[in-house]
Amino acid sequence: MTFPYKGYAGKYLDIDLTKGVVHKKDMEKDWARLFLGGTGISSKILWERTNAKTDPLSPENVLIAGTGPLTGVMFSPSGRMMFAARGPLTGVWAESHVGGFFGPEMKYAGFDFVLFNGRSKKPVYLFMRDGHAELRDATHIWGQETDITTKMIREEHKDPTIETAVIGPAGENGVLYSSITVDFYRAAGRAGLGAVMGSKNVKGLAASGALGLEAYDMDKFLEANEQEMAKLRDPLWKDSLASLRKYGTTDLVAVINEIGRLPTKNHWTGFYEQADDIGPEIIAEKYRIAQEACHGCAVGCKYIIQVKSGDYPTDPVGGPEYETIMAFGSNCLNNDIESIFYLGKRCDLLGLDTISCGKTIGFAMELYEKGILTERDTGGLELSWGNKEAQVELVELIAKREGIGKILANGVRKAAEQIGGDAWKYAVHVKGLEASGQDPRAHQSIGLTYATNVRGADHLRSLSSLEELGYPDIVIERFGEEKADAILDIMSPKYKGQVVWDMEDLYALVDSAVICKYTTMWPPVFYFDTFVNVIPSLTGMEEWSDPRYVRQTAERISHLRRAFNHRLGVTRKEETLPPRLLKEPMPTGPAKGGLPDLDEMLDEYYKYRGCDRETGYPLESKLLDLNLDFVVDELKPLKMIK
Amino acid sequence: MKAILAIEIELCTGCRSCELACSIAHSDSFNPKRSRIQILKDETRNLIVPMVCLQCEKPLCQEACPNGAIMENEQGILFVEKDICIGCLNCVTACIYGGIGMDPVTRKAVKCDLCRGDPACVKACQYGAIKLLSVTEGIHQRKKGVVPAFHILGVQVAEGQE
Repeated sequence: MTFPYKGYAGKYLDIDLTKGVVHKKDMEKDWARLFLGGTGISSKILWERTNAKTDPLSPENVLIAGTGPLTGVMFSPSGRMMFAARGPLTGVWAESHVGGFFGPEMKYAGFDFVLFNGRSKKPVYLFMRDGHAELRDATHIWGQETDITTKMIREEHKDPTIETAVIGPAGENGVLYSSITVDFYRAAGRAGLGAVMGSKNVKGLAASGALGLEAYDMDKFLEANEQEMAKLRDPLWKDSLASLRKYGTTDLVAVINEIGRLPTKNHWTGFYEQADDIGPEIIAEKYRIAQEACHGCAVGCKYIIQVKSGDYPTDPVGGPEYETIMAFGSNCLNNDIESIFYLGKRCDLLGLDTISCGKTIGFAMELYEKGILTERDTGGLELSWGNKEAQVELVELIAKREGIGKILANGVRKAAEQIGGDAWKYAVHVKGLEASGQDPRAHQSIGLTYATNVRGADHLRSLSSLEELGYPDIVIERFGEEKADAILDIMSPKYKGQVVWDMEDLYALVDSAVICKYTTMWPPVFYFDTFVNVIPSLTGMEEWSDPRYVRQTAERISHLRRAFNHRLGVTRKEETLPPRLLKEPMPTGPAKGGLPDLDEMLDEYYKYRGCDRETGYPLESKLLDLNLDFVVDELKPLKMIK
Repeated sequence: MKAILAIEIELCTGCRSCELACSIAHSDSFNPKRSRIQILKDETRNLIVPMVCLQCEKPLCQEACPNGAIMENEQGILFVEKDICIGCLNCVTACIYGGIGMDPVTRKAVKCDLCRGDPACVKACQYGAIKLLSVTEGIHQRKKGVVPAFHILGVQVAEGQE
């Protein structure tokens, strides 16, 4: 039976790289119905095609490039797509999302998903155009940085409308936190999926298409879209949106420092005295030359910078996000914003995750301070705090896996194992993923988010901005009047289990649709009702007009990703925080003295999630309710179900 | 009164919402490649230029059409009558402004018809970069609007040049 739903391209590519064969297949009806797209469908595919024995960098791992029904249609923001695989940095579930224009273009070229299986004998890239797809020789572009790679692919086809998702030298060299760079300066950064692509001898994906997408009921869909856009225009969000347009995410440097949550000195504290030097105002005044937006986006948080003179001049290029400024800036005590621009740009070109890379360098700086690493280990590099020249050199060494870069390319967890001694104490990660730019000692619920996030320590699977930035009306609307005060108290653990559970399910849909965290995470405009509103008229999936069905689907996706990790050995013991964030009270700043009450929040989270409190394993009844019988069949004999 | 689309390049973020809206209005699908307004980009130079028909007074496209497929509608706006167009590309070659293109699906010429006076792209633009203006105002705005692109491309703009 052909795929019945609209909004999707309707086909996916199942590629056997080992044999060099591209199979075109119809999308499966139940994938869409039960898992929507993006992370949801990926969890189903990876559950079936990998197992506990799959080495992340072996041909047996499967790298998925995926989109959702809202990718490329009229919905703001619709420019997103994602990658997923078993992750090389963490060994567990890995997904990474990215904006730009490649996702929509892939669908216009005719494909919702691409599955890379096996390993190619020689470097190749995937080219897709108007329903046609082929693996093309990439020997001549192997080794090139990401911008040159894109230019060479466009030149080869004499087509400037081609959009790309490619790896740089870091991915080729197996740096465990390699990114996939999309459209020059956007990145599917986290969790090392660039290394998976490199291990398969794939340089990237390129697409241009004129096939277009249809709606099941165009008039009704446009009406629904207009209703959602009207929510976005509510005066309530005016300030947040104006800030995103003027500063992009850089505004967070100031906002987050104010609440004492800006990771500083390898997460030692959450307050950076020099934050103004790397903050939104100086960037907007001195360097920002234009605003940009991803495909179909009404927010437009992307900005372009130019540095005309000094040690780090650059032609116009996408400016760094908050996380990049935090990772190379406050986290390494570097207050030179021009060098941070440069480091961010080098990471995009080399194909490195700026968060993990900056955090690993901060980790190395602390080891150097403590005498655990010496100049003998670093090849003469002086890794003192704030040494930007050393940062610049380290980024290159890491991408090439040379010198000390050979160890640091493995991320903080593995590097700490290799270095030995007390190094582990300074490795700030969960499940092997370096922590992003938050701190649970200043914001309780982010501690629970870090601990339970299926891909490790970052904010993107369930961060709540409700108490972080303060949205009382929304808290009351979603959780009721009586819980509002406790929820809005950023340092109270009360009800945070419920809040994070709710956010995780919301983002499961956001990441399956696939749309952006801006308008869902911050500002918190769209909620479950948005999907109820737009999915049925776009796709023709009637069941999606039932709010209960939509919530259940979100839960299904959340549980399947968790089950994927259980199968690999993850239990409550791994759903924890690094010692620094769990046991060292915040030493300075507005959140001084703060510590997260993780156990209390975890207990409540497991209750809402439908999991066993001791182990974190799912309850059999919950899985059966969610039509996850196939998970029960596999986990029950392993005693990973209660 | 006749009106034209005027674009302020500095406000354009390159999000392609106008292309999406145009393709919905004219082909009932989400397909930017079929849009009458096209955004050209050079990401490495921060160059984003939306291209759309200028509604010329002496239209080169109409002159070049061997079949008379480019004709005026009741509002005096030129449009391509797709049943008459033979897809020869003469109009595309003739237009020195890149204002008329080929629909990749029908292989017939397509140009902006201002959506009969209520352009979908204007409504879709979240950044206020596209406006429907009177001819006099529009021409003034256009001249102003393209200056940033000229700067990036290194094209000299003489004072008072038409």
